[in-house]
Amino acid sequence: MGVMTDTERSEPLDVTPEDSGVPGDGAEPTRWQRAADLFGRWRAGDTRAMDELVRLMSPVLWHVVRAYGLDRALAEDVVQTTWLTLVRRHESIVEPQAVSGWLTTCARREAWRVGKLQRRADPTEAEHLEPHLPAHESAEDSAVVEDESHRLWTAVSTLDDRCQRLLRVVAFEERPDYARLAQDMSMPIGSIGPTRQRCLAKLRALIEGGSHKTSGGMG
Amino acid sequence: MTDEEYDAAADAALFARLRSVWDERDPVPADLVDRMVAAVAVEDLSREYALLTLVESAELAAVRGESDTLTLQFSDGRTSILVHVSETDAGGRRVDGWVDAVALAVRLAQGEREWSADPGESGRFAFDDVPPGMSRIRLVIRDGGDVREFMTPQFEV
Repeated sequence: MGVMTDTERSEPLDVTPEDSGVPGDGAEPTRWQRAADLFGRWRAGDTRAMDELVRLMSPVLWHVVRAYGLDRALAEDVVQTTWLTLVRRHESIVEPQAVSGWLTTCARREAWRVGKLQRRADPTEAEHLEPHLPAHESAEDSAVVEDESHRLWTAVSTLDDRCQRLLRVVAFEERPDYARLAQDMSMPIGSIGPTRQRCLAKLRALIEGGSHKTSGGMG
Repeated sequence: MTDEEYDAAADAALFARLRSVWDERDPVPADLVDRMVAAVAVEDLSREYALLTLVESAELAAVRGESDTLTLQFSDGRTSILVHVSETDAGGRRVDGWVDAVALAVRLAQGEREWSADPGESGRFAFDDVPPGMSRIRLVIRDGGDVREFMTPQFEV
């Protein structure tokens, strides 16, 4: 695949509909289709369609922005800036069908920009402190259900920043545009897919390693 | 199922688990969506706002010969806002407002120019320094589970 320009439609790539948490049987439109439909209705004069679009996409934008290590208040600012940019510049969007990709790309770029300023202002590197919450040990954590989530969280927290960011963005964006993602992460486009696989492999190894330790510990 | 399909399904399952773990450990703030709806609503000029009407206007002559202040009340019968205008030292206007609901976003417009205020929990908001002139206030409030928009008629500050 060549380098895509901004005006080209983002390709679904290898992310299946199941990947997005949306049923893939065709009975229900995928999130990007719903977003495109709402955006179209808003542009046609249905002002309430924008509210629905905001409700649909804000949680996704939150996770994408938080992947960049911004604190919660800054992350909210970035999500808001993204929406205001959409309202102000909607006429310049060449591909209304791809509005969900436009939103996540806009959010990622703003998160990156704001994150750089935050890191410059904070020499202790907030990015490294923030996402690595200490693994919290409690009685509940030993319960089987909790244990599963706890183990996964511990494994995720152990990954390096780039892997955490990439996996979180890919997990929440329905059809990540790898060309833009590569550009935003300063990576060659061809390396996003392999990096994603390496990060997944590392994560699986950590989960399995953790499970041996846990089962040994519990006797 | 081919090996590749199997791998893709396994990846998809792991991504689904990742989404739920991130949702659980770093949840979207409870009011985020409402605040975003409000921020977009005040930005979107094509929207229709319920017009509030002027209920009361009181111009108070200044005590001790200082600048005049103006108090206005607008309402639609259910939601009311009180606006208090005073003159700043530099000759600008300070506009304090109270709305008897949770304000999510507030803007003051003079023609093409606009200012936004950070509404507090108590329904208070303030524009510290705006030039004198015809103004109107647009605001978005939370009413139970609903988000509603209002606009005042123009008034002179």
